[in-house]
Amino acid sequence: MRFILIDKIVSMQSRKEIITVKNVTLAEEYLADHFPTFPVLPGVLLLEGLIESASWLVREAENFAHSIILLEEARNVKYKSFLAPGSGIVYTVQAKAIEENVSSFTGFGLSDGQQIIEAKFALRHFNLAEKDSALSDVDSQIIENMKTRFKLLKG
Amino acid sequence: MRWIWIDKFIEFQSGDHAVAVKNVTLAEEHLHDHFPGFPIMPECLLIEAMAQTAGILVGEAKNFKEKVILAKIKKCVFFDYVKPGDSIKIHAKIESIAPEAASTSGKITCEDKLIAQIELMFSHIDQNLAGKQFPKENFVFTDMFRSLLRGMVLTRPDCDTPKSEQP
Amino acid sequence: MARSREEILKEVQQVLVDALGVDDDEITTDATLMGDLGAESIDFLDIVFRLEKAFAIKIPREELFPAESLMNNPNFISNGKLTKSGLEELRNKMPHTDISKFQNDPDINKLGDLFTVNAIVNYLEKKLNAA
Repeated sequence: MRFILIDKIVSMQSRKEIITVKNVTLAEEYLADHFPTFPVLPGVLLLEGLIESASWLVREAENFAHSIILLEEARNVKYKSFLAPGSGIVYTVQAKAIEENVSSFTGFGLSDGQQIIEAKFALRHFNLAEKDSALSDVDSQIIENMKTRFKLLKG
Repeated sequence: MRWIWIDKFIEFQSGDHAVAVKNVTLAEEHLHDHFPGFPIMPECLLIEAMAQTAGILVGEAKNFKEKVILAKIKKCVFFDYVKPGDSIKIHAKIESIAPEAASTSGKITCEDKLIAQIELMFSHIDQNLAGKQFPKENFVFTDMFRSLLRGMVLTRPDCDTPKSEQP
Repeated sequence: MARSREEILKEVQQVLVDALGVDDDEITTDATLMGDLGAESIDFLDIVFRLEKAFAIKIPREELFPAESLMNNPNFISNGKLTKSGLEELRNKMPHTDISKFQNDPDINKLGDLFTVNAIVNYLEKKLNAA
């Protein structure tokens, strides 16, 4: 499985808001386990869709200054309905604040107008070289990779 | 990729708390996207490891009669990250349990490091979500999950005789 | 264990801030859980669990939020509104709520508006001081 939980960036307002989409298909292998006879996208992967969307807002805002962006905290993440194969979801994420090493967001996902997920969360962003200068090449590699992925998602 | 994020239970006190273990290995393909050149177990999958540990704990408390689904992540905080070669322990505790839902708290550790604190709410979906149709059988607790408890002696705090999970 | 209304309100406000992710200044006494604070059914359960822990009491859900038994009984509902016996049942089951406005137009879709911060404080005050 490729660990990329959004398919396309639909629109982006720098430092403010991003809208992305993900298609769900039975070809996604983990659906066979979640659940057999009732395949639905796992809730944590819906959250990952919001996290990835927010990460692109950060990367674009800081001009890809940092390689690693991780979830620091999430609160009141509510799962309101199920998302089945054959459906798609539209994620909308709004930035509350984007600072140098931390950022905070609210986000939600809709499928055919129905609410699927909403969340409040914060990310942290850093370079590996900050702790170990020998890893600065790794940082560069990750950043280049992310730039390529960004181009692919923006279309 | 199989959707199972814990490898085994090392402690299981029925209706109260449990501890599960997960090994993280480079053989897990998704790590190579997160991130390319520096694999880290994604935080959302740490949440899922907790959801599965706590979900089985809640499900077992009702003899797997209920379809237990993650309904809300009350709060989760991450203090450090997890890499291939690490083995994490997922500690889950039932805070409250009612016919329609359950609330759990817990933490994830790696050796002596605190990785995360995670509080969840589960819904017993046949008791909620009126109007939605679900398959009759308990599709949540498959053999894959129940096999994790096989051979475990499940202690209960209020009785002397431990019960063991039937194969 | 007896508690003053202020103490109860403060504790309820903290529970709602944590359960609903809203700011404290949004939690006025008249605020409705569903309309103003965005609470949904899973949040109602979260709130009950947190209140049970905070006040060390058991709160049967039908006592604090009994709307479901009302909604499911055909004797109590007619044409989307509560009947006379429905209103009577409401008065008996939810003495902690203020139904003075609701009874003028007992639309079942507006039942949720009865669940205010005040209603929770009233319920807890009664329960804690009776113990």
